[in-house]
Amino acid sequence: MTSLVSARNVSKNFGAIRAVDDVSFEIEQGRITGLIGPNGAGKTTLLKAVLGLTECQGSLSVLGLDPFRQRKELLQNICFIADVAVLPRWIRVSQLLDFIEHIHPKFSRSRAENMLGETKIPSTAKVRELSKGMVTQLHLSIITAIDAKLLVLDEPTLGLDIIFRKEFYGNLLSDYFDGERTILITTHQVEEIENLLTDVMFINDGKIVLDAGMDELPEKYVELMASGEQADRARHLNPIFERDVFGKKVLTFEGVGREQLQGLGEVRTPAIADLFVAKVKGATA
Amino acid sequence: MIGNQVALIRRELWEHRSIYVTPLVIGLIVAVMSVTGQVAISAMDHAVDIAILGASNLGAHERAAAINVLMISIASLFVLAMWVLTVFYSLDSLYAERKDRSILFWRSVPVTDAETVVSKLSVALLVIPLVTFAVIAATHLLVLLISSVWVGIRGGNAWHLIWSAAPLLDNWAATLIFVLALPLWLSPFVGWFLLVSAYTKRSPLLIAFLPIILLPMLERSLIGSSVFAEAIFIRTGKMPLLDGINAGEFLQGEENLHKLTESGISLMSMIDLGAFLSSSGLWLGILACGLFTTAAIYVRRYRDDS
Repeated sequence: MTSLVSARNVSKNFGAIRAVDDVSFEIEQGRITGLIGPNGAGKTTLLKAVLGLTECQGSLSVLGLDPFRQRKELLQNICFIADVAVLPRWIRVSQLLDFIEHIHPKFSRSRAENMLGETKIPSTAKVRELSKGMVTQLHLSIITAIDAKLLVLDEPTLGLDIIFRKEFYGNLLSDYFDGERTILITTHQVEEIENLLTDVMFINDGKIVLDAGMDELPEKYVELMASGEQADRARHLNPIFERDVFGKKVLTFEGVGREQLQGLGEVRTPAIADLFVAKVKGATA
Repeated sequence: MIGNQVALIRRELWEHRSIYVTPLVIGLIVAVMSVTGQVAISAMDHAVDIAILGASNLGAHERAAAINVLMISIASLFVLAMWVLTVFYSLDSLYAERKDRSILFWRSVPVTDAETVVSKLSVALLVIPLVTFAVIAATHLLVLLISSVWVGIRGGNAWHLIWSAAPLLDNWAATLIFVLALPLWLSPFVGWFLLVSAYTKRSPLLIAFLPIILLPMLERSLIGSSVFAEAIFIRTGKMPLLDGINAGEFLQGEENLHKLTESGISLMSMIDLGAFLSSSGLWLGILACGLFTTAAIYVRRYRDDS
């Protein structure tokens, strides 16, 4: 497997604030990685560094390029949606396609037009005349018609209704992802992308607190639902986090074998969202 | 690089339709005025007939001079509008994309910041003047055509009175040089506007003009010198292209009109391209424009306020 993104000791300061703090990670080709973190955790800053939109300290290589200094070469091979509402409002759909066709060597206009054909977006419309959902559809049609090695999606479905979100992730898997391409995605709605990811990274306070493959999670993390005395016994195994659910205790363990928890209650693999809370809150507790 | 420039400049014309709409509207107004004006004059029936008859007896030089003055006055309207357009365009060019946050989209395509800023500079220095010139020439033809029809109706010989005398090519060549030279001469302002547009968080117009007005005043009151004031006012005044003629007052001075008639009705003969191209003022200005533009590129590249 080749590393598409390789970060070593990457940091970024904004004045006194350390937005990204000595972060190291690798993203390999053909993976779908979810970057998950609370607001202000440094997600967007990290993505911007990966996209060459902001300078950072440390060594960062994307597709073997220095993203900040070789941004143009980089952007021929990666695509991103930074935020849904950024398409210029004055432009016409057809003009947008004309422009990308001229500027992007890997854009397939026919592919974009096919995708737009399935929507209600007329090619003569201006972006300002489209609904929010349509603007996103348009943006996604363009982005996914570019034969890019790396697709970066920063909160791609923010503010969209659930039907559209489901459809979008469905299409992303069925039409776009082919096992060769690599996707890096951030979102608040973790549950929706949980089944789609191959890898997951948690970021909190500018630091990466978890970086694992989805298939490793069941081995490393276990959740136990127990009550009373059983819960007390389980506490001796040093849970990283504890919460109350319907009068019972839910304890999250890291590196504790399932066999050790046998008989203490219901054992299962934590959901990403719960694991995230456990990692982030457990660290501060 | 060049291929991208074509796409980027086309993009500018999509966004800033005023680049061609403004001159077209002015052309239309001039044409309408030329029709109504002539209809109004027609009320003075007899006098007009005599005037046309009189014009037939004028020398070719006088007729050519009269038409030249008409063409110059039409062109000067456009040149004025062109400069206003250039100021507003360059102030808006790197500001609007930040205001509506579309900069995130424009920076997601494989185009460098330098290519983007250069495309905007090219629009200000090249595209706006060329579009303006094309509409000027078309308006000239339209107005002369309207006049011909009118003269024809009154029984005059339009070919003899207008077309044979009109110094079209000479006037157009001079106008083209002038509309291309003017933005180049004023290019330090264009560069400055681009920088303000890339930098400011609000009201670019105010931020751009405040130092232009305040700095000369401050310099005068604090240091007592007027280097800055002269640098600005000499530039907005005399351009060493028109044989020392002040472009701003070109149509006001009687003297200039005499000069025009004497010079064999050739505007080209009044244009001193050599003096323009060899003036240090031009090249210093272009250098200043280059520095401001480079600064604008760096601001767009390094700022991170999205």
